[in-house]
Amino acid sequence: MSIPGVHLTQIGREDFLLEPSRGLDVSEHDRLIESIAERLLGARASRLYYDLSTQAIIDPIYYNWLNKLARTAQAINVKMVCVQMQPTAAFALVQFTHELPVFETALDISDWQSKIN
Amino acid sequence: MTQKKDLSEKVAALFSLKVGNISAALTEPGQKFFCHDNRLMDDDEVADLSGEFMSLIVALLASQDPTSQASPQFHALQMFFTGLSQKVQVRGGHVEEVVRYTHQLQQALVEALEKDSGIKFTQSRSVWLYFNSVFDELIMAVFRAYLEEKEQALYAQEQELRETATPITEIWDGVLTLPIIGTLDSSRTMLVMEALLNRIAKDHAKAVVMDLTGVKNIDSQVSHHLIQMVRAVQLMGSEAIITGIRPEIARALISLNINMSDITTRASLSDGLKEAFRSMGIHVSQKAD
Repeated sequence: MSIPGVHLTQIGREDFLLEPSRGLDVSEHDRLIESIAERLLGARASRLYYDLSTQAIIDPIYYNWLNKLARTAQAINVKMVCVQMQPTAAFALVQFTHELPVFETALDISDWQSKIN
Repeated sequence: MTQKKDLSEKVAALFSLKVGNISAALTEPGQKFFCHDNRLMDDDEVADLSGEFMSLIVALLASQDPTSQASPQFHALQMFFTGLSQKVQVRGGHVEEVVRYTHQLQQALVEALEKDSGIKFTQSRSVWLYFNSVFDELIMAVFRAYLEEKEQALYAQEQELRETATPITEIWDGVLTLPIIGTLDSSRTMLVMEALLNRIAKDHAKAVVMDLTGVKNIDSQVSHHLIQMVRAVQLMGSEAIITGIRPEIARALISLNINMSDITTRASLSDGLKEAFRSMGIHVSQKAD
């Protein structure tokens, strides 16, 4: 079952990689989050890596989407880690938020895996 | 239209001249401005320069419409003066020398043509105006090249200043250090942040040690930017460690009422490096004898 605007790939026994595509419509967040959570629950996932390498700017709407997805993941015992955040996105994000987000961040997947091992 | 035709005919009369006769007259201005005191060029180079100018002006006069400033021949002439202006500047000369040379070249050209053809161009207003308009445009080309060169030099200096103001160094594989020295203001902090974030992405840095030992004072706005810089580093997935915080800076930071519990601070740069190594699982020890 495909989720519109999102490529969700199982990359390990309990790990999933989420790659947003150009067609991602974050205004449809409720429906998207439900579909993603369903996939994660079905596979008994424990980690969700969200690839931000193609996201040049993170605005409040996109940030809100990321936080909602991370909170939902927390609720089903899945840790969400955003990887490969771009300098421009980090620069833009800190302009409107003072606290660290709900999700974790890492340079890339291998960086996160080396941190937890 | 008739006037233009009349001018073209007059100008056309110039091409039939044996231009070789005037080449000596054209080298004089070059020798005067580029050879004597300032030694920007040697005699051979000035002779080549005059020869090139002569072939270009002859090509312009022989073109279909010598009055057109959109013709390839006129463009070639402009490029010649642009190149000359750049060359003189690179060799330490002044734009004034090129402008004076261009003026004198115009005078020498007209005088030589008059002498050679026996036609009094000074009495022919249209021909005189024609040469004036050509050379005015050439002087503009000289100035444009001068300004372009100046702008490039300014930009290069600005870039150099930026780089020296933000000496980000990879002190270990994946560990960046950023010693901040002097007074921090908002615009400088933003520049540092931009350079730092790009460097993290480029070097794949796992930890960044920002040393504030050399910072004299910061106001609340800059403290805010500093915290933003730390947050941005953390968001990219790198660990941010601040070192060398002086009491007055500590006071400025806490006045922002920002939760600093998730910001790693250490007293000195060496402590900060140790913390970076520890977080990366690197153990540095003295070699046993």
